[in-house]
Amino acid sequence: MNNKKSQIQIFETIAVLVVFFILLGIGFIFYTKVIKSNIESDTAEISQSKSVSIAQRIMFLPEIQCSEDNVPKEDCIDTLKLDSAKLVIDKPENSPYYYDLFGFSVIKIEEIYPNSHDLGNLYKRIDAPDYKNSFVTKVPVTLYDPINKLNKFGMITITTQTK
Amino acid sequence: MKKAQTEILGLAIVVVLVIIATILVVKFGFSKSTNTRNDFISSQEASNFLNTFLKTSASDCSQLTMTELLQDCAQGTGLVCSNGEDSCSYVKSAATTILSGTIGAEKKKYEFLACSNFNMKEIKCNDSPPLIPPIGQSCPGQKKLKIFPIPINSGTIYVKLEICN
Repeated sequence: MNNKKSQIQIFETIAVLVVFFILLGIGFIFYTKVIKSNIESDTAEISQSKSVSIAQRIMFLPEIQCSEDNVPKEDCIDTLKLDSAKLVIDKPENSPYYYDLFGFSVIKIEEIYPNSHDLGNLYKRIDAPDYKNSFVTKVPVTLYDPINKLNKFGMITITTQTK
Repeated sequence: MKKAQTEILGLAIVVVLVIIATILVVKFGFSKSTNTRNDFISSQEASNFLNTFLKTSASDCSQLTMTELLQDCAQGTGLVCSNGEDSCSYVKSAATTILSGTIGAEKKKYEFLACSNFNMKEIKCNDSPPLIPPIGQSCPGQKKLKIFPIPINSGTIYVKLEICN
């Protein structure tokens, strides 16, 4: 009789332990998921910050920024400088320097007004296989034509690829 | 301690554990993630847009800037551009073209207007009709707003751009 009672108690203890470990497992899975989602959110945040910093670097890039009496103008691109900057940026020997500035991204400039047309890519380096996030940032900008002394309405489209 | 009391204590511990788990789920599961890029874009968009627009030259209107055309529109000097439009119509058509090609193309709602009598508290134009009547639709909910004052001989005119979030 006593032997049977002890067996039942041992079985009960084992059942309690099994339930406890199941609950512990569920808790661990939940904790892991929370940590994973936090890491993913931090990664996305860092990628977005990188995309914003690239956008800001372009807006203040001396190669294309308008200036008057050596005073730089904000949110303005000199279209004559733009043509020369494209040639400079495309040179293979300058590639590491601009990669440090812009990473894997595409910088496209287009005129919206008075005429709507594409002014081409200022910088293009993309297709990194392990870079899965892509952000598009559009910034309105003045396109200054120094020959005709005209300010045109333009848009810079920055597509950044981050890990 | 009696057996019944022990079981009640066990039940209480389980309830406490369930409450702690619920708090953790609410804290980690529903916390909003911050969006640096969207914050940057929306904070810059309206102000960058309006600054750039007001600096834009009118190729058919003696290369005057939109600011100068708005000043002319408010002062009613009777300027007629080479395409036959007056300064008010020219600014309106330029704004319509630019806004529909940029913010409108992204399927965002916006409202652009210019007036000489602007109520800053209610963010409302008191002119009837305004210098440049509203282009687009006003936002009922959250919006990014930029109001730009332009000085004229008789006071100040205000240009407003709001972009719906």
